[in-house]
Amino acid sequence: MDNKDMYESKYKLAHAYVPFQVMGRVYSPDKALCKGTLFPELYMPYKYEKEKKKC
Amino acid sequence: MDSNQLKLLRKLMEIEFCLVETNLYLDTHPSDERAIRLHNTFVKELKELEYEYTTNYGPLTHQNMSRCPWEYIKGPWPWEIDYCGCD
Repeated sequence: MDNKDMYESKYKLAHAYVPFQVMGRVYSPDKALCKGTLFPELYMPYKYEKEKKKC
Repeated sequence: MDSNQLKLLRKLMEIEFCLVETNLYLDTHPSDERAIRLHNTFVKELKELEYEYTTNYGPLTHQNMSRCPWEYIKGPWPWEIDYCGCD
């Protein structure tokens, strides 16, 4: 499907949405640094993370 | 580098990271009181850690005071530190 199709095509435009974050529990500082976020609701590694070494 | 210095550096990194996180959250949630309290707690803790580090081990950044001779160049440099040994 080349670019031309994309312009006249019937595909609906994407509807992006970002629900508003409400802070709940937070990680402890050491865990936050390892996880890369302070907020459990934002922790979304792409693949399931095996229990890996601390560093 | 003694283990307490290493632990302090690690704790400093952790708290500084948490402050980045509370900062980002508060940018979009400016009236979230709990988040502000959390942020201020981390700031207090960071100041205490900085004080403890600088009194025991010398300047952490170029904005800290130093004895003579200039302690800032006293090693090890950040990239020479292996944090994996600490826990």
